[in-house]
Amino acid sequence: MMTTRLLEGKNAIITGCARGMGNKMLEIFAANGANIWACARAQNNLLETQLRKLSEEHQVIIKPVYFDLTDYDQMKVAVKQIMSDKRPINILINNAGITYNALFQMSTIEQIRNTLEVNFLAPYIFTQYIIKLMLRNGGGNIVNIASTAGQDGNSGRSVYGASKAAVICATAALSEELGNKGIRANCIAPGITRTDMLNSMTEEVIQETINNTDIKRLGKTDDIANAALFLASDLSSYITGQVLRVDGCLQ
Amino acid sequence: MILKGKNVVITGCLQGIGKSSMEYFASQGANIWACALAPNDGYEDFCKELARNNGVFVKPVYFNLLNNDEIKSAVKSIQSDKLPVEGLVNIAGMAKDALFNMVSMDTLKNIFEINFFSQIYFTQFITKLMLRNGKGSIVFVSSISALDGNVGQLAYSSSKAALIGAMRTMSKELASKGIRVNAVAPGVINTDMNRIVPSEVINDKIKKMDIKRLGEAEEVAKTLAYLISDISDYVTGQVLRIDGGIR
Repeated sequence: MMTTRLLEGKNAIITGCARGMGNKMLEIFAANGANIWACARAQNNLLETQLRKLSEEHQVIIKPVYFDLTDYDQMKVAVKQIMSDKRPINILINNAGITYNALFQMSTIEQIRNTLEVNFLAPYIFTQYIIKLMLRNGGGNIVNIASTAGQDGNSGRSVYGASKAAVICATAALSEELGNKGIRANCIAPGITRTDMLNSMTEEVIQETINNTDIKRLGKTDDIANAALFLASDLSSYITGQVLRVDGCLQ
Repeated sequence: MILKGKNVVITGCLQGIGKSSMEYFASQGANIWACALAPNDGYEDFCKELARNNGVFVKPVYFNLLNNDEIKSAVKSIQSDKLPVEGLVNIAGMAKDALFNMVSMDTLKNIFEINFFSQIYFTQFITKLMLRNGKGSIVFVSSISALDGNVGQLAYSSSKAALIGAMRTMSKELASKGIRVNAVAPGVINTDMNRIVPSEVINDKIKKMDIKRLGEAEEVAKTLAYLISDISDYVTGQVLRIDGGIR
């Protein structure tokens, strides 16, 4: 029996591919037959070795695309590079982001600006460019990585949560504006997931958060990458404007 | 194939979302106990063909959700196959529309009996079987009308809302034991249940969607497959709207 790959022949852009969730998405999307523009901030030999390996193993085209999200000139060059491949863009995963933990009264204007810049403004502008290209081919599929912090409002997460809440709101608006043009747009809200981002939290806080999940464990990058696979594929063809919490039911 | 080798109980298989789910689950390699009230013309042939074409086990199981004895013997029949039960999709349900002030208590009780009480009763038995393997995934098919309300659907929407409450509590009790529990909330799906709705009402709903069309049963089936499969291993206690972005 033939194994069907869920993203066979689709072309996907994934940002933040160097590490964590983005890197796992790279693996899972390639294994499911997607051609990928793997975006990362800076040239990275380790990543390129991995890309070649994945490309060979799964018989897909994978190209690195380097740009700093907050440098709009670099972003334009990256978009041109993607355009120059002359392949339709079917999927955009806005995964790159930064974390910031600080109490409300301790959050600094620089950090507030920076967090909003990287987590909200930059992917917003990048998405505008990519949607323009998607509309030429009759649509596409956007998956934004938000956070449960963007829905729940957690102590120490006012800034980070606000940046992700902004993403959630923009995604729903985008879905309503462009749903009839063949664009679907959804968010994933990861809960507490085993990535480098956890380094900013104390072991005590992590344990407490695990206790607040129904499932009593941390999320894995696979869990998030598989949710991205679901939302990026035709498995979810009638789902748009939604937030999928992948959080073990965190409260 | 995201359900390869998974053994799944599906209720409400005669038509609509249930039938589509059987087809999609079988195509993804799942073995299926296909539960229905009673066989209709061609149902058993359909089950056999599905099994043969996909190289999976498909067994029809018949019971009336209003009859506890029938539920019990259905569970025994499932148990007798000695396969670990890993998935349960509760699709069987019923709608009877009437404005709030016109809903008779008999109708309300009857709808709750089918859409809520008996599903919970059946799910208790199946959960016991799942607990033996320490792993399972349960999905309830609720509705957007449970979340949003819908004119004329007092009984239906409240019975489907009750399922969501049950689902959240079950997730709290069972997720740490390896059983995930979720619900889907389909919007307006192109099934027999909606074919009786006047076309003005349907067109009005379509205008309120981001994706300007009805959903297809298969699109619900695919999301059910995601929630039953291992690729949703960290998703529990959730309600997924499959509604084309209705507002």
